[in-house]
Amino acid sequence: MVRGWNLTVRVAGPIRLLALVVCLMALIGCREGEMGLDKLMPQDVEGWRAEATGRVYDRNTLFEYIDGGAELYLAYGLRQMVAQRFERERHPAIVVDLFDMGSSEDAFGVFTSEQREPEAGIGQGSEYAAGLLRFWKGNFFVSIWAEGETSEAERAILALGAAIAKAIEPPGDVPELLGLLPKEDLVETGIRYFHDHVSLGHHYFMAEENILGLSERTEAVLARYRVAGGTRYLLLVRYPTPGDASAALHSFVANYLPEGRQTGIGRIENGKWAAARRWGDVTMMALEAPARTQAERLLDAVTERLEE
Amino acid sequence: MGEPERRLTRRDFMRMAAYAALGTAVGAEVMAGEDGPSAGRARVVLVRDEHAVAGDGQLNASVVERMMDQAAAELLGTDNAADGWRRLVKPADLVGIKTNAWQYLPTPPEVENVIRQRLLDAGIARDRIRMDDRGARRTLAPCTALINARPVRSHHWAGIGGCIKNHIMFAPRPSVYHPDSCADLARVWNLPVVRGKTRLNILVALTPLFWGRGPHHWDKRYVWPYKGIFVSQDPVAVDALGAHLLQTKRRLHFGEEKPITPTKHIAMADRRHHLGVSDLKRIDFVKLGWTEDVLI
Repeated sequence: MVRGWNLTVRVAGPIRLLALVVCLMALIGCREGEMGLDKLMPQDVEGWRAEATGRVYDRNTLFEYIDGGAELYLAYGLRQMVAQRFERERHPAIVVDLFDMGSSEDAFGVFTSEQREPEAGIGQGSEYAAGLLRFWKGNFFVSIWAEGETSEAERAILALGAAIAKAIEPPGDVPELLGLLPKEDLVETGIRYFHDHVSLGHHYFMAEENILGLSERTEAVLARYRVAGGTRYLLLVRYPTPGDASAALHSFVANYLPEGRQTGIGRIENGKWAAARRWGDVTMMALEAPARTQAERLLDAVTERLEE
Repeated sequence: MGEPERRLTRRDFMRMAAYAALGTAVGAEVMAGEDGPSAGRARVVLVRDEHAVAGDGQLNASVVERMMDQAAAELLGTDNAADGWRRLVKPADLVGIKTNAWQYLPTPPEVENVIRQRLLDAGIARDRIRMDDRGARRTLAPCTALINARPVRSHHWAGIGGCIKNHIMFAPRPSVYHPDSCADLARVWNLPVVRGKTRLNILVALTPLFWGRGPHHWDKRYVWPYKGIFVSQDPVAVDALGAHLLQTKRRLHFGEEKPITPTKHIAMADRRHHLGVSDLKRIDFVKLGWTEDVLI
């Protein structure tokens, strides 16, 4: 086998050699990735033992494991995941789903996609409720859940989470866009980070069509703010170029806020206010603000941060 | 990203005063750029019984049987359920019961048993009745008639798991139907193994799931004993009402808008694929039985 490879290399020359090296590196990379996921997984905790070897899935096979639910992880650039089952006699099984998202920003994004519970103190952001622990750290998003709720299972879930979080190094950064969010009245568990139009629709239905030109090349943050009698939203989108951001602003105004063509602000059918503007490669939108000044203040605060 | 014509937006829903149903399929009449809606009207029957689900979540089989019979007779306009089922199927049919095997909220055996028994009562021989979910593409393909029965639940990507989606297991590669929030799921109903065969859609709302968490989209805190069963011959209409129910429950529970994913597939099943009626205004909705917290 090796001799055959050597022969091929000799005959085909340096280009084929380069291709071969790249392929080998890719293969080694895959194996390291899978082994890396396994290394993050403890073998036993609180009496629960890992059952055989975890099953590894990639972008092409994740549907086999979580049909329908897989789209969320694909939208955030999933690389691979491992599902590991833990068993203990006369206790509910515990399942760890460990997702390598390829970047800490996307691990954070998956975590925020349905965050609503108080912080559980594991990894870089976590929540625990009803037998399900969700957390993120570094490039990884982790879900741990029991097939039945008991106090022992809850202890084991939290211990498993702590062990996995400890094994994940290094920690990662949250998306830079978060630094633009004004803090006053911000609902910390209401931040959503994502890329595409379908994801926006999961959190805030703005339009059937992709009027903001969202794609895997854009970064978006939707944040909720408490106001008397309701919620207002701030949507920030960073585009590949200022020209893209400008086109998105133009499209938003034309399709959603035509009365704001001159001023970038307008009152909508429910009596609330929407406003939009652009600064560099960022398009920002204040949505559902009860008062005009509230919409303007949100955008002013973001603009000030961008100018710093 | 050019914008020569305005697109359907959140503001259109506000204008229509249909804001309460935001995210469900009722915006079909303003969905620009699609074909016209399906012709005619649809009929959906909802039967509820406060004794259908016990405090521990166990179903009461005899109550479920009575509900199913009431629903069938009312929907089909017959004096009793047996006559209704005889209208749906003929002894020569090979009948497939398409269930749903999702481990957390499967089609209840109590419902499956009633369907099987009523098919027998209608003169279908035991060996001409099949039942399956995951293997449906293989085992139910030869069937000449299908009964489509599954629980209604929140679904991360499609918005709801309902009767339209339940036939996805007839597709060779289900994931092909996932793009754009499963917008074109109704295409599955045009596959030769499915087309024109579904005689009855049963959307089980005994213990629906109105919100999910985690990769497996399950959290028992968001299951509630609604104690209802919807039936219709129109899969789109029954799903439109199912989505409306879950949306209403979410709003009540969370005290704020928590829109179901735009459930495009229900509106598209109407506008683009003409599978049935998604516009609530064109659905004749009959409610029988227990009325407390009916929500819709």
